[in-house]
Amino acid sequence: MKDLRIKISGTSGQGIISAGDILSYATARKGYYVTTYRAFPSEIRGDGKCYYTLRISEEKTLTATGDSDILICLDEDTIYEGLDTIKDDGILIYDKDIVPELKKTNKNIITYGISLKSLGNERARNMVALGIVVGLLKNLHLEEQILKDIELRYKAKAQEVIDSNKNALNSGFKYALEKLKRKDNYECVKMESTGAKLIMSGNEAIGFAALCAGCRLFAGYPITPATEIMEWLAKELPKLGGKMIQCEDEIAAINYALGSSFAGVKSMTATSGPGLSLMQEAIGLASMAELPIVIADVQRSGPSTGMPTKTEQSDLFAALYGTHGDCPKIVLAPMNVEDCFYQTINAFNFAEQYQVPVIILSDASLGPRRECVDLIDLKKLKIIDRTKPKLKKGDIYNRYEDTQTGISPITSVGDKYGEHTITGLEHTISNAPTPSPEVHKQMTEKRFRKLETATTKFSKAKTYGSDDASIGIISWGSTSGAVFEAIDKAKKKNIKVQALYPRTLYPLPTTWIKDFIKNKEVIIVIEANYNAQFKSTIVERCTHINRGTEVLEFLKYDGTPFFPEEILEEIEKVDKIQKEKNEISTNKHTHF
Amino acid sequence: MEANDYKGKVKPSWCPGCGNHAVLMSLRKAMATLDYQTHETAIVSGIGCSSRFPFFMSTYGFHTIHGRALPVAIGLKQAKPETKVIAVGGDGDGLSIGGNHFIHASRKNPNITYIMMDNEIYALTKGQCSPTSRTGTTTKCNPYAWTADRINPVLMALSFNASFVARGHSGNIKQLEELILKGLEHKGFSFIHVISPCIQYNKVSSYEKIKEIVKDLPENHDTTDRANAMKYAFAPEGLYTGIFYKDNRPTYEERYQEIIKKAKQNYTNDVTLEDIMKQFQ
Repeated sequence: MKDLRIKISGTSGQGIISAGDILSYATARKGYYVTTYRAFPSEIRGDGKCYYTLRISEEKTLTATGDSDILICLDEDTIYEGLDTIKDDGILIYDKDIVPELKKTNKNIITYGISLKSLGNERARNMVALGIVVGLLKNLHLEEQILKDIELRYKAKAQEVIDSNKNALNSGFKYALEKLKRKDNYECVKMESTGAKLIMSGNEAIGFAALCAGCRLFAGYPITPATEIMEWLAKELPKLGGKMIQCEDEIAAINYALGSSFAGVKSMTATSGPGLSLMQEAIGLASMAELPIVIADVQRSGPSTGMPTKTEQSDLFAALYGTHGDCPKIVLAPMNVEDCFYQTINAFNFAEQYQVPVIILSDASLGPRRECVDLIDLKKLKIIDRTKPKLKKGDIYNRYEDTQTGISPITSVGDKYGEHTITGLEHTISNAPTPSPEVHKQMTEKRFRKLETATTKFSKAKTYGSDDASIGIISWGSTSGAVFEAIDKAKKKNIKVQALYPRTLYPLPTTWIKDFIKNKEVIIVIEANYNAQFKSTIVERCTHINRGTEVLEFLKYDGTPFFPEEILEEIEKVDKIQKEKNEISTNKHTHF
Repeated sequence: MEANDYKGKVKPSWCPGCGNHAVLMSLRKAMATLDYQTHETAIVSGIGCSSRFPFFMSTYGFHTIHGRALPVAIGLKQAKPETKVIAVGGDGDGLSIGGNHFIHASRKNPNITYIMMDNEIYALTKGQCSPTSRTGTTTKCNPYAWTADRINPVLMALSFNASFVARGHSGNIKQLEELILKGLEHKGFSFIHVISPCIQYNKVSSYEKIKEIVKDLPENHDTTDRANAMKYAFAPEGLYTGIFYKDNRPTYEERYQEIIKKAKQNYTNDVTLEDIMKQFQ
């Protein structure tokens, strides 16, 4: 067995997220790959349910979702919800104090009902449960590392809190080793450590990349599930002399960042759907005034307040078309935590280079999830700064010089001889406001020419799976992980599938899509929204798709991310239909 | 520097006789007195007649979107604290669509100056009621009567705890210059409310009418007494001009320097990206 899924669930306030985080850190620091998925309600305490899934493996995996090997339930409800998602011969650990008698199940699983309170105390039941898992998986040798991670997690708390958590873990661990009558086969699970790696959440990756890219001002307004970016930068930015500013609302936030960018400081904001809606006017201003700015949108279920802690990829239209007017911008979508880091570096580079707003589309399943990232070589990162003009006294400086690339050298407040006024009004090359038809046409083309220049610099959209596949999948953002895994599973069933996963969504990757669909009989666009937002964009904007190739959609909009299993099911369905079709046409052929 | 050195490439587009001309002249003069360098100064505005201001200056300028001059100005100031930042705009821009930012700018106390040119009307859109329009005013949008009560910008600034609050009017350019100069010199958020008549769309608050009702604050007014300043701002019998209130408390930028110090306190050397990356290892 090369990988393991452990799921911890319970009611909000029972320490599910803490337990999951501690176990993720310990496994990563032990040298295994880990990726996670967490789902939680908006309320801090109450009846809401929390779920934390960890996938521990020898190789990098891209999704944590799927059936679990071990399910730990700290309350009763999540047991019956979760039973069906335990693998055959998998383990259920539950609290005997809460559920004295487990309802009968037809599932072929091993159950351990343990009195968690008696092994620790009421508040440390989560740690007892963790200790039991560490004991069950004793050949992963996590016991020393996990104690260190408990200490780190609670270092700001009183020593007695740390001790009580450590003791609870130890007693759970000992119980599993010494007292538990094992009925399962997980004792023999071993994994190779693959050496040092980093572990961070998607939101932290965006924050850290911003620092690496040279961002020194972040302005934001708290909003689930993006707040973590703001909190992390609040702690780290001042260490580098940078500033995190908490604003009165999202409109203020993006405008603070624009003011800062005008002063020549790389700036960003982060938000979720409702905030993105509020920022749209200022995004247009950045586009018109040609000011670099990065906006991270950690999408959640919408519209309106929607489901703040649940995921969706439904802000694509808002990101592409949300601003009024013809508004050049760049939209990027990272596919996993590591990609959050590198796409954020790209976002700053593109913003600076092309003087446009750049939107990063993360989501609620990606932002809070912690996962291993291969070591980052900071010296090898390519960081791009905006092009400044060389000016001397008496020079005439035209801020919006119409160039071949569309990019005009830019000065910042403080630069001598480069004084100019920028505006959201249409303006001449020397930034004087004008309603002239000729100028508006010329300047609109100039602003969009920057995107044409940019398109030649984007790295090619990547593919996954076999080149000779007749079924193609196009996915974007965090959905791609589940797609890859489904492709692997399909391969085992002799179904060939290839996926294309562009990380640059706008300007549209038309050429790559065109190349990709060339030898495909059918394309399935998979995304987490009701309106098939990427599919309709592709079909509408890449007209060549309409000719010949069938474009299907597979959508999910219930607030949960895609599971590889459900994608596999869809692939099998499509494959069957395709085969039948081909048979009919072959029969027809022989008939004639 | 001379006042004329601050003349921008674009000629003022305001109507002849507009109150904003006096503000433009006064600001240029005050800046010349303080020897502001054009490349180190930024004028930030929102949308409205008065918000065209930055185009008429030779400094850096940012003509933003409606109501957002203050957040842009504060962001700019935080990013580059050595910059002289002046936010300008009208009553509609700053009290209606941008009203929220006025509250938070005041309490954060950034070291910037905010000049509000109040003509009691939306003039750029050709005459609709603004938050400072008189109850009962009729316009095309309010053909029968404007039903809301007026806002008192000076009283607002005092209650939001702006650290410098003054009022002048375009009919008294000498006083206006003096107030703007004091505002620019003030360390912290200086709010200057300027009654700036619109001769086109507001026949009620004309220069003549304003001259009748304005009066100087008493010479012995204690500018550190906020409650008393509020009393004058409230005064129903006339429109006081002069400096209502002034205090000396740390600016937003200074307070942030304390944050930076705290964040660095556990490090002996300059913090590097490598140091920060350690938490992920």
